[in-house]
Amino acid sequence: MTKTMRILLASCGTLALASAATADTVRIGITQNNVGIDSYQTTYERAFIAAAEANPDVEVIVLDAGGDVARQISQLQDLIQQQVDAIIIWPTDGQALVPAVRNAHRAEIPVVVTNSNIAEAGMEFIAAFSGPNNVQQGIYSAEMMCDALDGEGQIVQITGMPGYTTAIERQQGFDDRLAEMCPGVTQLDIQPGDWNRERAQRTMETFLTRFDQIDGVYSGDDNMGVGALNAALAAGRAEGMVFIGATNFAVGYDAMARGEYWGSVYQSPVDDAEAALQTALDVLAGEDVPKLNYFDTPKITQDNMEEFDRPVF
Amino acid sequence: MLLTRLKAGGPAIAKQGILVAFILFMIAFSVMSDRFMSADNIMSVFRQSAIIGVIALGVTIVVIGGNLDLSVGSMLSFATVLVVDLHDKIGPELAIPVMVLATLCLGAINGFLIGILRLNSLIVTLGMLSAIQGLVLIYSGGQNVDIVDHSGTWFAIFGRGAVFGIATPIIIFGVMALVFHIIMTTMPFGRKVYAVGGNPTASVFSGIPRSRVVFTTYLISALCVAVAAMILGSRVMGSQNNVGQGYELQVLAAVILGGTSLLGGAGSILKTVLGVLMLAFIQNGLILMGQPYYTQWLVTWVVIIVAVWLDVAAKRGRLFSPIA
Repeated sequence: MTKTMRILLASCGTLALASAATADTVRIGITQNNVGIDSYQTTYERAFIAAAEANPDVEVIVLDAGGDVARQISQLQDLIQQQVDAIIIWPTDGQALVPAVRNAHRAEIPVVVTNSNIAEAGMEFIAAFSGPNNVQQGIYSAEMMCDALDGEGQIVQITGMPGYTTAIERQQGFDDRLAEMCPGVTQLDIQPGDWNRERAQRTMETFLTRFDQIDGVYSGDDNMGVGALNAALAAGRAEGMVFIGATNFAVGYDAMARGEYWGSVYQSPVDDAEAALQTALDVLAGEDVPKLNYFDTPKITQDNMEEFDRPVF
Repeated sequence: MLLTRLKAGGPAIAKQGILVAFILFMIAFSVMSDRFMSADNIMSVFRQSAIIGVIALGVTIVVIGGNLDLSVGSMLSFATVLVVDLHDKIGPELAIPVMVLATLCLGAINGFLIGILRLNSLIVTLGMLSAIQGLVLIYSGGQNVDIVDHSGTWFAIFGRGAVFGIATPIIIFGVMALVFHIIMTTMPFGRKVYAVGGNPTASVFSGIPRSRVVFTTYLISALCVAVAAMILGSRVMGSQNNVGQGYELQVLAAVILGGTSLLGGAGSILKTVLGVLMLAFIQNGLILMGQPYYTQWLVTWVVIIVAVWLDVAAKRGRLFSPIA
């Protein structure tokens, strides 16, 4: 379905619901980052709509900024104009959106930020953040790496898109915890993979040329991690090399089942979407919601993977 | 005899600015990193440059014909998602022809709008860039696609295989470069493309079917994208919806670095190959030297500008000229 069609359908849905709306129905507008650009965001949107439909007291307006910060700002203004009860936003750019979020705050519409956080300057204008704790995810990955290597070895790191908050936070959590927990593990180099499997594969190939001994690879997500694994397999050097990722993808889950991939951090877009909606509802109900409302993203390894469903993305 | 030949050869070599720049950078990198010139590394860079390289061959012909193709990046996403998705549904022997045909259709749309209707190629292919990206998302529903069973498919040959110890992507890139070079330098079609790009009006008056020639250049470009998609899909055994995003700019950079004129009518397939390799070697060399990412960006583009300058200066015979 195209974005336009989706927005049209969402608007039609809104109109139909509006006529049937009763006094205790709440209207929540969501503006997302870039649906369809990856499986995570696509699954998130579906889960969000499903959760909203399951709740008869909720009426949602679903918008998508298509990765364009200017469009997201005007979508926020539209939602303020429509006087929705609450706004959920998945920021395209945590810094540029601060003034628009302040406008919503001034209009006394509570804003819940989902998945990826807004800049520090905007924190006073939001009701809550709901999403994964990316620093904590980096910490988990570092701990798994330490365990897998018994505290000794040389590793490389492939990060996400440079400048993207998630990438920065995961790297920060990983670097700090690794240095603290196992000083015996050294990082040979850190290079970006841009959340792109082919790019990560190329980066890993260069690492393999450059370093004779690589004991472990940490990737900012499993999609890139599988690219790194591909490169190591092709070079015949995957044996004994420890691969740790984050955001467990289906390909990562399968590689883990084959014993080629050590571990990752499990992050469900369904949990993410449901937590965002619930946070908004709690805020509207006047409950005491923590400002940073993290949902759980547990470690997943070859040992405990059967406790988790295979990711749908 | 030899001496006169050498004397004549001197200026001829000096005119090959891009080649000179390429050799200079290769020497510089080998001095700075001892791994750079290893056979493994050179093979690895050749293999890595094959995807962008194959696409750049097609775009070179489009640009020589006086047009642009900015849609190759999203076309690559489309073709890769399609071939990977169909692989598990109908098998590679059917998936490949279906993907090639579908990609050629996109090329035909470009060719029709630009060649037959004479619309501006920048606008058309920029529009196609977005339209095709939309098409990819409609097709895949935004989900990544993967080939589930890696080991049991001959599709792996395109990206991961090797013949006589040479990686298949290198062979595909090499053979295509050679064929395209022969077409552009010795065959009537090649001469027509140069004529159309050099002076479209004159070419029409001299009886060259301009519309058909331009149309064909876009078909060739799409065919190259289809081949690149086979290499890419096979290499990573999966595809993201945005896998080709930004490729159009890297391809265009390689084509321009190879000295192909954006005004059309001038350029060379073999120099595009040099441009592609130079970009790949710069990026590889900077990582080998352990340069941080942001520095890589900066240095890459400074190097490109220096290379283009050397190329132009060599053709002028001086470093700076008040007259072009």
